[in-house]
Formats: sequence, C-alpha cells, structure tokens
Amino acid sequence: MTEMKKRKKNPYLTANIIIVILLGLLAVLVVLPFVWMVLSSFRTNKDIRLNISSMWPDPWTLTGYAAALTKAPFVRWFINSVFVSTTVTLIVLFTSSITGFVFAKYKFPFKNLIFGVILATMMVPSQVLMIPNFLIVKGLGLYNRLGALIVPMMVSMFGIFLCKQFIEDIPDSLCEAARIDGAGDFFIYARIILPNIKPCIGSLTIFTFLERWNDYLNPLIMLNDTEKMTLPLALNFFSSQHLADLSATMAVASLVMVPVLIVFIMFQKQFIKGLALSGMK
Amino acid sequence: MKNNKFVCIVLIPIFCLIVVFLIAPLFYGLGISMFDYNPLRADNPFIGAANYVRLFHDTLFYRALAHTLVFVGVTVTLNIIVTLILAQLISSLPWNFARGLFRTVLFLPCVAPMVGTSLVWRNGMFATKNGLVNHLLGYLGIPAINWLGDASVVMVAMIIFTIWADIGYNTVLFCAGLDGIPKDFSEAAQIDGAGPVRRFIYITLPLLGRTFIFVLMMTLISHFQMFVQFMVLAQRGAPNNAATVLTLLIYKEGFSNQNMGYASAIAVILFLVIMVVTVIQRRVNRVDWGY
Repeated sequence: MTEMKKRKKNPYLTANIIIVILLGLLAVLVVLPFVWMVLSSFRTNKDIRLNISSMWPDPWTLTGYAAALTKAPFVRWFINSVFVSTTVTLIVLFTSSITGFVFAKYKFPFKNLIFGVILATMMVPSQVLMIPNFLIVKGLGLYNRLGALIVPMMVSMFGIFLCKQFIEDIPDSLCEAARIDGAGDFFIYARIILPNIKPCIGSLTIFTFLERWNDYLNPLIMLNDTEKMTLPLALNFFSSQHLADLSATMAVASLVMVPVLIVFIMFQKQFIKGLALSGMK
Repeated sequence: MKNNKFVCIVLIPIFCLIVVFLIAPLFYGLGISMFDYNPLRADNPFIGAANYVRLFHDTLFYRALAHTLVFVGVTVTLNIIVTLILAQLISSLPWNFARGLFRTVLFLPCVAPMVGTSLVWRNGMFATKNGLVNHLLGYLGIPAINWLGDASVVMVAMIIFTIWADIGYNTVLFCAGLDGIPKDFSEAAQIDGAGPVRRFIYITLPLLGRTFIFVLMMTLISHFQMFVQFMVLAQRGAPNNAATVLTLLIYKEGFSNQNMGYASAIAVILFLVIMVVTVIQRRVNRVDWGY
C-alpha cells in the first residue's frame, strides 16, 4: 500500500503547495502580535513612538526589562502564580481521579442522581457565580488571600467527568483480581487506576494549569493587594500604572507570555492530542 | 465493586465543596437578586422583583444584551466557518510536518493569557496612529480607523481579536474529527465524480456530526462568558459602553458600583439566556445528524 503511494505521483501537488502558501501567510499574521510584543520590549519608548514604519528595535535596549524588574514586584507575582496554579492542579488531579474512580467502579445508592447533579453544575457559567462566590469567599475570611484562588477551585466537574470516562474503560476484572489478592480501595486507586489513565491525567494537568495560570477574573475580584496579585492581573495593573512606558509594559507581557508559549511548543504534541482526546470523550 | 465506607470518605468532602462553591452560590445569587444589596452597607432591604423591573427600563442593560447576542452570533458563526475551512485545508496536506506546524501556530493565541494578548492588540495592533492593522490597511488604500475609540467599530475590533484568539481550539478539534473519518467514503464519492466542495458538504460535514455538535456547543457557551477582551482591550467597554456585554455589566454593577443585588439580577438573565440557547441548540441537533 505504502509502496503504491510512493510510486504514484501526488496528483494534488500544486493544490497542496498553494494551500501551504496560504496557510503560511495566515500563520505569519497569527504570530505577528507576538513578534511585535517581543521586539517592542527591546525598543526604547521614543523608538516605538517615532519609527512607525519599522518593527525592528533601533537601538536594542534592555531598559524595558530593567523597569519591569525594578519598578514592580515581578518575582513575587511570578511566585504567586506558580504557587496557585501548581497547588490547584495537584488538588484537582487528585479529587477528579478519585471521584471519577468512585463513580466509574462502585455501586452505591443515589449514584445516578449525584452524578446528574455534577453534570448539571458543569453547565453553570462562572460569571453567574461571580458575585455569590465573592461573598462566600469573603465570609470564609479568604478575601485578599491566595487561598481565595485555590479553595473554590479544588473540585473540577470537567475533571471528574473526564476521569470517569477514562476509568470506565479499565476492565472491572483488573480491580476485582486485585481485590481478591487483598488490595484495599485506595491501593487499587493508586496502583491500578492511576497508571492506567496517564493520557487523561496528562491532558487534565495541562488544562487545569493553563486555566489557572491565565485566569484574570477571579484574581480581579478576590485580590486587592499588589503583593498578592497573580501574573495576568499584575500585567494589567502594571500597564495601567505605566501607561507612557510601552516598552516596559511589553517587557512584562513578554515575561508573562513567552514562557507559556515555549512550554506549549515543547509539549505541543501531547497538548494537541490531549485536547482532541478530551473533545472526543 | 461495593464499599460504602470508601465511597462516603471520598464523596462527602467533594460534595461539600460542590455545594459550597457551586450549588449554594446559584441559589444565593438568585436570592441576592431580590435584595437591594450593597456589601459595604449594613442594611440591605428585601425589594422583591424591583431589580428585575429596573432591568426592563434600563437602556444600558438592553444594549449590553444586544451586544452580547450580536457578538456571540457573529463571532461563533465566523469561528465555525473559518475553523472548518482551516481544518479541512490542514488535513488535506500530505506532509505531517506541515500539518503539525500549522496546528501549533494557530493554537499559540489560545495558550497565551488573554490579558496579555489584549494589551498587545490594544497598543500594537489596533492603535490608530502606529497600529499594525491600520498599517496593513494603509497598503490597500483604506484610511486609518480608530478601532477602539470609535463606538461604531469597536465591536468589529472585538470580533477580529476574538477570532484570532480562539480559532486554534476549534481547528484542532475539527482536525481530530476529520482524521477520524475513514477515507473510503470520500474516495468513493470522488470516483463517482464529486468535486472537493461537494465532497466536503455531503460527505465530510455529516460524518463530522458529533464533533460538530460538541464544538458548536462549547464555542457558544464559552463566547457568552467572554470578559477579558471587553475589560482590557476595550478598556471597560468604552467608548460610550459600545463594547459593554452582559458579563462586563455584571462586573461593573457588582464590583465598581457595589450594586450586587442589581448585578445578580443581570447574572440570572445571563444564565437564562445561556440555558435557552443550550436547549434550542439541543432540540435542533436532535432532529438530524443521525449517521
């Protein structure tokens, strides 16, 4: 079959090349804003304002980055973001997988009713919960603490749903055999279920982490202190504080975005596979 | 398996969290919408349906509702059309490397935080004087447009930005859907003399049914909830609230004006709008697509 394909000339070669050129042009347009951002972060403000026709820095400068790192607690913001995103991701992975396990493999009363409630709450848009959640977080004494970004996010309906779908594909006999050998429930979860749903865990990690890392609305509502901010909120704050200093704003924007883009490009295969996987299920 | 003790140990804490942060807020929000609620005040009187009555006389609410519906309608339609075409083009390429490269590039805006991309577009792309969009339009002889300052075009700017920021997801999902369709059908149709466009409409599209429904559903729901670009790129829905959508109005009323009762009433309406769209969409989809 493959040999036949090799021998046969591709009848669509011209069409394919035209498509590649068109998509290539589109790809350039899509990355253009990122290129502009990174180049602008190395330009002086005067250069950005006066040399309209060129995107290229003349001269190259690091004053934007110097301003970004000295005029604002950037490192603090970065640590906040890492802390919140990592904590939430680890907790969500645990709660989703163990709850998915229970729903996939156990029989208990009101199971369908409870799962129905979980599915229904998945449809509730977060903006609708914005005000009551703010008041609840305030009532719990979490307002203006990083906990406000962690505690309400510890359970993910999507995560539970995804894990349940994957765990259902693991044969029951595997769990029962372990049961007969005397394995406890938690042992079965940790040693049999978890290793068998690695792709699911992988994509859930990526999506939860990214969602938390990029979240703007919750920090906007729940936080007040500059010191407590996570990166997206801090970025907008910084830009409104330094309106005239576009070079520094783009330096902060680059510091926030470029690591995300690099991590994505490094893991893009797993990433895109994971997305397709969660979409198919 | 059966072990009620283990099930309880797992589910009780999980369910407490769900109740406190998902179910209770829903009813709490409904409750607050019937109060004149200001969190900075000690006395918040019950006013029944007064917030809802006020909504029906509030032109800004009507405008925000209209902006939301127009934004979602136009953006989702364009998004689906564009991503279907892109996915079809990308999947038609015989080179793995090119397919992967284009998918990755189109996906880049989806992984970047939208606050950042909004700032870049505000300062770099949509700026009137040295913005790249006007620069490119200048080559075509089109005079500079004040994208974010002119009330009549700011929504167009929002739509352009959102398409740029969001096509990656659906392109990847449609690509996966297309790769899942066996080539035989298309090849058979080709032998019967169907051109690429007809093959796409009569073979590919119906076979894409399940993916299509899923993508449409997710895109609709996510676009109703869009917030960042209206807050950051259009700077709080400016000018003259021409880019104020329901989510932004909820935020502004609730957190800038501290009118949480009124804001909750708007949130309830947004919830109903999303519910209605979801139900209609499900009805429509139940009829056909059964391949």
